[in-house]
Amino acid sequence: MSINPLSRRQLLTRAGKGFGAIAASHLLQAAGNNPLAAKPSHEPTKVKSIIYLFMHGGVSHVDTWDPKPELTRLSGQTIPASFVQGLKTSRIDFTKAIMRGSPWEFKHHGQSGIEVSSLFPHMARHVDDMAVVRSCYGDAFDHAPAMYLRSTGTQLPGRPSLGSWAVYGLGSENQNLPAFVVMSDGAMKCGPQGYGAGYLPALYQGTVFRGGEHPILDLATPNGISPKTQRTTLDLIQDLDQNHLQSRAGDDVLEARLASYELAFRMQSTAPEAVDFNSESAATKKLYGIGEPLTDDFGRKCLLARRLVERGVRFIQLYSGSHLGDDWDGAHGDLTGSHNKMAKKSDQPIAGLLADLKGRGLLDSTLVVWSSEFGRTPLAEGKNGRDHHPYAFPMWFAGGGVKGGRVYGSTDEFGLRPQENPVDSHDTNATILRLMGMDHLKLTYFYQGRDMRLTDVHGEREFTRFLRGA
Amino acid sequence: MRIALLALALPLAANEATEILQRNCYSCHSKSLQLSGLDLSSRQAALKGGNKGPALNLTDPAQSNLLKAVKHEKGLAPMPPANPLKPEQIAILESWIRSGATYPETSKQPQTPTWWSFIPPKPQSITSIDQYLDAKLTEQKLPKAPRASRATLIRRLYFDLTGLPPTAQQVAAFAADNNPKAYEQLVDKLLASPRYGEKWARHWLDLVRYSDTAGFELDSYVADAWRYRDYVIQAFNEDKPYNRFIQEQLAGDEYAPEDPIANTGTGFYCVGPNRDLFPDQADINRVETLTDFTDTTANVFLGLTAGCARCHDHKFDPISQKDYYRLQAVFAPAVKTKVALNRLSSLGWDVDENIREIKLREVGAQIRTIQDPCQKKTYDQKLARLTSEVQQAIKTPENERTPRQKELQTEYNSAVNVSDDEIRACLNPAETTKLHALERQLVNMFKGYREKPFACGVTDVGDYAPKTFVPSRGIATNVEATPGFFSALGGGDIPERSFERKTTGPIPMFPTTGRRHALAEWLTNPQHPLTSRVLVNRIWQYHFGRGIVATPSDYGRRGAAPSHPELLDHLATQFVKDGWSIKRLHRAILLTDAYQRDANPANPEVKKRDPENIYLSHFNRRRLTSDELRDSVLAATGRLNLKMFGRPIVAPLAKEEMYGMIGNPSSMWIVTTDTSEHTRRSIYLQQRRTFRVPMMEVFDAPEPMLSCSRREASTIAPQSLTLLNGSLVLEQSKAIAAEWVKQHATDDTLIDQAWRQVLSRQASTTESTKAKQFLATQTRNTNSREAAAAELARALLNLNEFLYVD
Repeated sequence: MSINPLSRRQLLTRAGKGFGAIAASHLLQAAGNNPLAAKPSHEPTKVKSIIYLFMHGGVSHVDTWDPKPELTRLSGQTIPASFVQGLKTSRIDFTKAIMRGSPWEFKHHGQSGIEVSSLFPHMARHVDDMAVVRSCYGDAFDHAPAMYLRSTGTQLPGRPSLGSWAVYGLGSENQNLPAFVVMSDGAMKCGPQGYGAGYLPALYQGTVFRGGEHPILDLATPNGISPKTQRTTLDLIQDLDQNHLQSRAGDDVLEARLASYELAFRMQSTAPEAVDFNSESAATKKLYGIGEPLTDDFGRKCLLARRLVERGVRFIQLYSGSHLGDDWDGAHGDLTGSHNKMAKKSDQPIAGLLADLKGRGLLDSTLVVWSSEFGRTPLAEGKNGRDHHPYAFPMWFAGGGVKGGRVYGSTDEFGLRPQENPVDSHDTNATILRLMGMDHLKLTYFYQGRDMRLTDVHGEREFTRFLRGA
Repeated sequence: MRIALLALALPLAANEATEILQRNCYSCHSKSLQLSGLDLSSRQAALKGGNKGPALNLTDPAQSNLLKAVKHEKGLAPMPPANPLKPEQIAILESWIRSGATYPETSKQPQTPTWWSFIPPKPQSITSIDQYLDAKLTEQKLPKAPRASRATLIRRLYFDLTGLPPTAQQVAAFAADNNPKAYEQLVDKLLASPRYGEKWARHWLDLVRYSDTAGFELDSYVADAWRYRDYVIQAFNEDKPYNRFIQEQLAGDEYAPEDPIANTGTGFYCVGPNRDLFPDQADINRVETLTDFTDTTANVFLGLTAGCARCHDHKFDPISQKDYYRLQAVFAPAVKTKVALNRLSSLGWDVDENIREIKLREVGAQIRTIQDPCQKKTYDQKLARLTSEVQQAIKTPENERTPRQKELQTEYNSAVNVSDDEIRACLNPAETTKLHALERQLVNMFKGYREKPFACGVTDVGDYAPKTFVPSRGIATNVEATPGFFSALGGGDIPERSFERKTTGPIPMFPTTGRRHALAEWLTNPQHPLTSRVLVNRIWQYHFGRGIVATPSDYGRRGAAPSHPELLDHLATQFVKDGWSIKRLHRAILLTDAYQRDANPANPEVKKRDPENIYLSHFNRRRLTSDELRDSVLAATGRLNLKMFGRPIVAPLAKEEMYGMIGNPSSMWIVTTDTSEHTRRSIYLQQRRTFRVPMMEVFDAPEPMLSCSRREASTIAPQSLTLLNGSLVLEQSKAIAAEWVKQHATDDTLIDQAWRQVLSRQASTTESTKAKQFLATQTRNTNSREAAAAELARALLNLNEFLYVD
């Protein structure tokens, strides 16, 4: 299915005709003031949307994307103290814990031969489309600060997230849907501040899509109120508001508010259409693992992400896992159990998403990013666990002009620290912005006497050129 | 206090040349930064020079690198990079080098302020604020809007001073009042209303990043934060002089160690974010907490964005990194403590709690004794019913289970769970009797349980004060920062033991460093250039929607220049003269003609000529804030509970509204049992740092992590969804409609009542006609007159007339 995007003028004019109570000119005027209107990017780019896949709780790097044979060889021994000097984490003592090799087998995949563990058999088939970065690092070893660091560039909550910055910089291609959509299993350790707008205006905040027919809070006409009743009430509001406006001519804000009721009304029909999978074929659903008990939930989220991309949503953030027990962090006490389960839940859906985007020709214009707040200690926690490890962990990029089948950066032989090309959250965020056509140095917001940036005063190790294949 | 006065009264710096260097070069080339290895702040260092050699050439002055750089000669980077020096400044430097480049000996003395906001305000010969504003309007050729109608004015005043709408009766009475003093009397009446403190405390709580929880992934409760919230409400209501208000918040424990109210003021330090419950993050937490104290203090009281200087000298304002840590050193000895609100009852509470703890341990032991046998018995019975493979899987310790066993364990775990009911069913009569006795004992133990009579505040560790060091690129150095104030504001050092707490009680008090006391004295010095300016400008902004300085927490070089500088100084000096009375300041502002103008400009041209309405030719229409909106909806339907003060109220939320909340709602969203409390004013609602009620959030309730000096007023579609479909308006519409239908047999009187109650006025004839048709249509659509009336209420609560203040 391809959607022929209407220009905003066309859209608003058409929409305006549907509602007698409000003149199209008001809508147009409101659009002129609309801070979410699509804006030109700093640099030319084909990328229109980004899907950010965030693995909540911390995925072990040495068991997924970063093979460490040396660690396996020395499994069971303690590590020389000099290797772990200065490393500190939430539960274990690096100088006393023993090394633990990965219980999963690594194999070469694709033409590129990138090694992936047996945890991700589906994603492994797409390595030739992925650029795997093995040398991410941070300095926060608790979940919430580490999640804030990844998305906002600081350990403290209350700063704008990557999605908010992207929407602030680029606006939205679809005014009838939120520009920045978040899907999760509910309670997350970062809370809504993980996708908040911080000091940016609230409208740049991520909108949570819940399950069900009406994904946005208060989107549905309340129970017991028929569409006819709703329309009649809306008409009275608009009628009286028009009258109110007449004696206050020229007030753009009041006009924008009148228009916002119509936008809201249109959202009421657009959003349910976007989340309705009836038009999707059985084959597509199967691709995402929809209908299978373990993969159904994340599969639905991934398929919805593709549908939102098609509808011009700028930034889609998906979280796999939640605060309430079901996440990658189960690896503290049960590495194999937690990782087997969480990998099963997300592997096929993500692979399905990549395949589907590619099949529909959307992968070039959609950047897919996979990340977690940190890795897990190459050293053991208890008999079958790994602790938090913010000092080295991987992420990958696909689509959006990224040349796949390549690996950037490396870690030492135990996966303790980056060795080549270390990159922190500023560097990766600068890179993501650049791939979307934005210069992280130019994307600023004046606040508290400074032109604030997502990357603060950093981001100099941006690696966009590598990702683009240069 | 002596040192502070001295610091502000210092003579002008002697040397023009070094002043040029100081203003243009030191930010990069002084001791603390030394870019290109160059330090220009002393003769010795300048002669030594940097990477490009000596800066000064005393034998051939024209060949001095300093001169070459400022003259933009080849071979050196042109300096200063942004704003080249003027020829006359270069001439001064040149003659200074020729004469031997001597530096003033008083280099340790505080610098002389040069930036406008760092120079103390001078009394102005402004006798009438209006005359002054009018002169500017005339100058700009901007016509004034006429005076607003009485109905508009009373609504404006009510929202501005109390955050609530007037009733229809109050509007009608005011409109009909012939007394020429009616407006003035209304101002006084509203300033005296207890609702005033509730409205204005909200502004202050935004500024001091108030929240009832600490933030981060535990988002633990700051259980006594609300005592500070109540303190602020009371302070506004009793018009506590602003200097005293500052002193109590920054150092109430030092000013009045035995006064629980003053000590509660230091809750200022407790209501910010912290990670106090993360023991392994104690080091980070300490740094972040001190940073929070420093930045918030600079932001709120000084209107400065000092945070930039945390890592390096401020790029735009004359705040060095060292200065930043001098201010931070003021807070280094402060530690959180509990403030006893009443000697006797606080003591009693502590004693009870002490006994309760011991009793509870015993109760816990008894419960286990009674229940454990039954728990085990039932468990074993349940386990025995399962296959031996499953039994084995469950019995195997977690770490030793095979994958298959793990699956089985997950699957069958609930099958062996023993519920409370099952245990009770298994107990014998004697055990049951014992358990009931324990239950009675527990209930009795908590019968009188209430809020503990303590607030959260700070005290000072005195001689144990840790030292403060200036870090370099995030790494600690051994450069010590001694407590003091910003040099550019003439700040001096705080001497050790400069102050002793005065107590009357029998117990001698721990001596404090007096650093926070010194800070408060410095800030509340009548000559302080920023304190009074910042405050009067905030009040002005809250009334007019725009400050005289449009950046209310940034008076530095990146901040906005004052639109009416003389007026700002006039208000600031008058404010101090009036005993730092905020209510007198309100009065002076509210009685101006400027405040009473209509919100529509005199003609459309005005909007083009002064789009931001800087010159106040008309009033700035504004949207209600999230708090005002919720309170107004409840007021309109007569459900607002005006009870004041007390622990935070948690009103129930639908499951989907709690989406994204950190942790389990059973611990994070403990709903207040008494439902009549759910409709209290918004300021009394629990405010979590990591979660905002969606309805409040969508209407721009600020993120309580950082000081917020001005709320956004966005206009977005989700707001319309919230008002149209959200639970607040929907429930309130239904509730009020039920009453209307009962009270009014005819639509005419029902409509009249609806308009009066929601919009505080009569409906016009056209409106009545429309409403009648509407009720008829909706009665047909819904088959219910009551449902139709609820739709009418829903429509009225959605109107711009309801949501905006003219």
